[in-house]
Amino acid sequence: MGNLKIYLKQSATYKIYRTCVRNLVDFMDTLGSIIIYGFATLRYILTFRVHRKELIEQCARFGISSLPITLSIVSMTSIIVASQVAPEMVKQGGGNFVGLLITMLIVREVGAIMSGFAIISMIGSSLASELATMRVTEQIDAIQVLKVDPIRYLFVPRILSGLIMMPLVVVVASVIGVLAGAVTTDLTTDLGYRAYFDSVWFGIYMKDLTVCILKAVCFGGTIALISCSCGYTASGGAKGVGLATTKAVVWSIVAMVIWDMLFAIAFFF
Amino acid sequence: MSIEVKNLVKIYDDKRVIDNVSFNVENGETLAIVGFSGSGKSTILKMICGLTEKDGGEIITSKGDIAMVFQYSALFDSLNVADNISFALRERKELRNKYSEKELREIVSKKLELVGLKGIEYKFPSELSGGMQKRVSFARAIVTEPNTILYDEPTAGLDPISSTLIEDYIVRLKEETNAASIVVTHQMSTITRTANKVIMLYGGRIVFNGTPEEMLRQDNPYTKQFVTASLDGPMKMIA
Ligand SMILES: Nc1ncnc2c1ncn2[C@@H]1O[C@H](COP(=O)(O)OP(=O)(O)OP(=O)(O)O)[C@@H](O)[C@H]1O
Ligand SMILES: [Mg+2]
Repeated sequence: MGNLKIYLKQSATYKIYRTCVRNLVDFMDTLGSIIIYGFATLRYILTFRVHRKELIEQCARFGISSLPITLSIVSMTSIIVASQVAPEMVKQGGGNFVGLLITMLIVREVGAIMSGFAIISMIGSSLASELATMRVTEQIDAIQVLKVDPIRYLFVPRILSGLIMMPLVVVVASVIGVLAGAVTTDLTTDLGYRAYFDSVWFGIYMKDLTVCILKAVCFGGTIALISCSCGYTASGGAKGVGLATTKAVVWSIVAMVIWDMLFAIAFFF
Repeated sequence: MSIEVKNLVKIYDDKRVIDNVSFNVENGETLAIVGFSGSGKSTILKMICGLTEKDGGEIITSKGDIAMVFQYSALFDSLNVADNISFALRERKELRNKYSEKELREIVSKKLELVGLKGIEYKFPSELSGGMQKRVSFARAIVTEPNTILYDEPTAGLDPISSTLIEDYIVRLKEETNAASIVVTHQMSTITRTANKVIMLYGGRIVFNGTPEEMLRQDNPYTKQFVTASLDGPMKMIA
């Protein structure tokens, strides 16, 4: 009997089964902790239990340190699109709509999602590895023993900074993106800035702007929440820090794309 | 008012790391816990201060603050020494805004002087040696004047003179505040200087329970092996 058990445990089927169960449990664990910490943080934010000094620090980190990469990614996307589309549109007689097209593209989609990717790579990964390192070096234990509230001290400033700063980052990045499109159009066609910007105004709808800002708030909050939660629940040394960071990045990307899809379905379907 | 531990059990992956451990520490007493690396000393401390769930038994501590000096210091590496030490005073809910900046600075420099580290307020933990970090973490733990103090190897990695400094301070603190303290240590000097009771753990159980003098008398095979640091004896290194 004992032999049979050992034999069974070595079989591929058992190993696959065990891997599946482990992964499922791990998945539910991660999801559960994200939800729990999300609600806890929300409660703190709604009752204004916010650490102001930390919040300012985190906002500076979220907004300023990520700006170079966010701006360059969004404007480069704009350059890529404009340089391919503008000459063609002008040739086909649609020159009056180049600005409109680029603006719509950036406001509706590229501004938020490209900034999101930039923020995940810059901020999400650093939040996750920071908290994971604090966890594995017992700094979070120390916070708890000193009877300081880790939700208020760690989660709230970081997540709130995501909620506040992400829309600002997206707006700035979008403006720069539209400008980059203008420069590209000017260089690749003989359309001129005037015609470009005249049509830009027709590409901006109130609804698009609202959705863009809402999206940015959701992306920013979700990225910060997932990254903090993955880092906070890390375990087991340097390897654990690496795993937590990877998990944070992957989950953030998936969550962001899901948000984007939900917004598309809700507002443009 | 004290620490009372009854039939404590902790299980990690089907292994009883702590198996029915009971002891108590009265106010003004210091208990030393000794034992092999991996015998569960840190685990006991973490259960007492509530960081780790226990799987059985009972822990009763007096109402006030529990402080813990971590084995690997666990200083906040994004904060400088002064902010590390004043962390609880600045951030804990009931203490927030109780002290002015000036008072905090005074408290910090007083605590730093106590552990023999004057004038390093604005250094960061990564700029300190391991022993200095240990002493800063000591200062951080006692800043709220706790009445239960847990020390996880407070003198490990310190030179003999700094060790003596810390040991003296453990004793002084106990006398001043009448706190109940537990010191996990491998160092005989720390046991004899600070503790009035010793328990020895092996295989998750208590194999010796007595005073430091009784421990040095070596009439228990376990303590004899420990004190003489011998490989022969009832305790075997198990991987
Ligand atoms: N999170 C954990 N998961 C699984 N096992 C653990 C965990 N923490 C500790 N253990 C196990 O519990 C046992 C006791 O660990 P503990 O850290 O309490 O030992 P210790 O007596 O403090 O050792 P040292 O003197 O080296 O600090 C060890 O065998 C360790 O493998
Ligand atoms: Mg230990």
